[in-house]
Amino acid sequence: MATSRIALFSAAVLLMLLPSRPASGAASAWSVNSQSQVRLITAWKVAPRQGELWMGLQFRLSPGWHVYWKNSGDAGFPPSVTFQPADVLGRPELLWPTPRRFDLPGGLVAFGYEGEAIYPVHAQIQAASAAPETLKITANLDYLVCQVDCVPFRYTLTLDQPLGEAPESDPDSTPLLQAALDHLPRTTAEVAGVTTGAVLDASRPDGPDLEIRVLGARAEAGRTDVFLETNDALDAGRPRMKVAADGVVFHVPMKPRQTNKALPARAPIAWTVSNLVAKDGRSFSLEARRDVEVWTRAGGPPSGAPQPAATPGRLARLLLAAFLGGALLNLMPPVLALLLAELLVLRAGEGSGRVREGAAAATTGIVGAAWVVAALALLAHRAGLPAGWGAQLQEPVLATLLAVVAALLTLNLWGVAEVPLAPLAPAGAAGSSGTGRHLLAGLFATPLALAWPVPLLQEPLGYALGRGPATVAAVFAVVGFGLALPYLLLAAAPALVRFVPAPRLPGGWLPRLREGLGFLAGAGAFWVLYALSHQVSPEGLAGIELALLAMALLAWLRHREGSGRAFRAVLAVGLLACAAGALWLAEENRLAPRPAATVLRTQRTQTTTTNPDLGG
Amino acid sequence: MRRTLLTLAVLSLAAVPAFAGSAVGDTAPTFKLTSMDGKAYNLADLKGKTVVLEWANPNCPVSSRHTREKTMIELSKQYGEVVWLGVNSTNPNSGDYLKPAEELAWNQKNGINYPVLADPTGATGHAYGARTTPHMFIIDKDGKIAYNGAIDDDPPGRKAKAERVSYVGHGLDAEKAGKSPDPASTHPYGCSVKY
Repeated sequence: MATSRIALFSAAVLLMLLPSRPASGAASAWSVNSQSQVRLITAWKVAPRQGELWMGLQFRLSPGWHVYWKNSGDAGFPPSVTFQPADVLGRPELLWPTPRRFDLPGGLVAFGYEGEAIYPVHAQIQAASAAPETLKITANLDYLVCQVDCVPFRYTLTLDQPLGEAPESDPDSTPLLQAALDHLPRTTAEVAGVTTGAVLDASRPDGPDLEIRVLGARAEAGRTDVFLETNDALDAGRPRMKVAADGVVFHVPMKPRQTNKALPARAPIAWTVSNLVAKDGRSFSLEARRDVEVWTRAGGPPSGAPQPAATPGRLARLLLAAFLGGALLNLMPPVLALLLAELLVLRAGEGSGRVREGAAAATTGIVGAAWVVAALALLAHRAGLPAGWGAQLQEPVLATLLAVVAALLTLNLWGVAEVPLAPLAPAGAAGSSGTGRHLLAGLFATPLALAWPVPLLQEPLGYALGRGPATVAAVFAVVGFGLALPYLLLAAAPALVRFVPAPRLPGGWLPRLREGLGFLAGAGAFWVLYALSHQVSPEGLAGIELALLAMALLAWLRHREGSGRAFRAVLAVGLLACAAGALWLAEENRLAPRPAATVLRTQRTQTTTTNPDLGG
Repeated sequence: MRRTLLTLAVLSLAAVPAFAGSAVGDTAPTFKLTSMDGKAYNLADLKGKTVVLEWANPNCPVSSRHTREKTMIELSKQYGEVVWLGVNSTNPNSGDYLKPAEELAWNQKNGINYPVLADPTGATGHAYGARTTPHMFIIDKDGKIAYNGAIDDDPPGRKAKAERVSYVGHGLDAEKAGKSPDPASTHPYGCSVKY
């Protein structure tokens, strides 16, 4: 290591000692200070007499020093340059490579470049001018170079650019410029399948939040970042990134620069996202400039930008999908088992005329539990965790909890766990159709239903999460009512309960049916364990399964041998401990999230570049 | 449980305001600071007057360029009715830090004849959200922030002085005429404040 560093250093010293290159052809002489060196380069040994002329400001920065992006961040300022002769070159445009973030003392942040940095410059040699054989190009450059301290420099860089009928590219500077151009951020038009958009939610009590979405590309872990250009109305804070199903989402806290002036309805905001990976595996950064909608009324903006507008028709369609999705959840094995058990209880109590009451209680339980789930989903969404239908199965602890719930229902139906849930009490027993028990059954149905990723629910929930609490509550209520559809029907027409078969003799085949339903519920537990196998290590999964088995053992012991009160209490505590142990195992053995499957697909992306024809 | 803790951390972070600092229209954060020559200054005593705050650092080349060019010195003279205060929020651990006596001597030598206040804890700097030297604030007669941003439109200082747009000068003209500065907010430039 040491020798190579010495060698590098000697090479650097040697380079400095060499006579600086004559300021002609493709590069000016280096202007050197102890913080940085800079020169002007062009792509041509002999440039064409008219048309595009690509140049570059090439910086070499001493370790620790940086120069700035077009938005310098909290401190500094970007370089500025003018070119002569203006009558030949017009107003060349300075282009900005994708920057990186520099943290400064006091929580300040700067955006810029370190090491080797080239700012490409795009000029157009005016056709009208009578161009000479050699064009003397002068760049008047001002820049600030900072570590924590800053030093401003001003240089006049000159080079003699030969012009000719037979253009010839420069073999040294052309690859440098080409590489710099390749690293400029692209627009969505230049990368197939990638979209981006943003909304500004100014209705939040903790200040406006800018949500920027990039779809159709993957983030590079720990490297992807977002940079905002300066904006007249808003200052930007430190962004938070989260990985979405098909891209990345950033949340940037924003602060109005004037509190005595209302925000505009649309704010022109420009952003650059670094270190993205396209579907074809190529790395790129993306820049976009949009008139971003500013949401000031409560409820927040529609989620993300590249989504269809919220029209009344769309809302109705999404609510219908939510209702149907909820109703469909009744067909999922454990939910179905609970539903059938409930229907049998209601049927058994038919004579007492309390069917309507029981059905209403179950509906209340389902919708109430749906709202609890809604609140949790909203919290998770706000915290930047995945939220949405199906996300619960990607969270090992939550999935394990669902497995525990399904296992408890199984044990209950098998008659070994006396959870006061859908109890098929002997016919005629008082209180067998108590409203409290139906309410509990309803509360239980919702978490069981959570384990089923019904695609129909994905869109309504994603939409609701993007719009805020009121919409989330409404959509979850509709899902709940869909799930409670059988009970709603019974509440409306209690006579329908007669369609449920009832045994002629008291008891009769009921116990056997109930035990049979236990297998349906068990299927639910196994499904969740399968889903868990993607989230936790094999050892963790085995541990969770053992904990579930231990729960069953304790429940069985309590059922068979539990005569003493204290013994029953100990077994109950043990059962809860097993459940807690399963959750702990899930947390401890969680696997790192896998890259999204879409990334593995190799799809040819057509990338049109802004690269000029540098080859000559 | 790490994930849970992380979630809690994220939630609690979300509760903390993402920005310190003041926006145009906010009541100017009050302060009691001592100038380099040992006099006490309390913003509350300046009610009814237009106040300009200039974050300064003699060791910052951008700040000292304006001293050399007498940008602030001449403006403060031109708008004599305005209370012009420099503020230095440099941390005593920073290489840029000057002891009050040293800074006073430097100011006198360079013709800075308005008071410069010492804010070594950075509390006032953070309360205003001062990011650069120079970073300028105009506080109107009602004690509200009327302008927040750069001194002018020429970060590298390449234009002739007469050609620069002095945002603070225009802002003070507007204040004098009973109007709001326009622009009321610009992007400040310079060295970072050495908190």
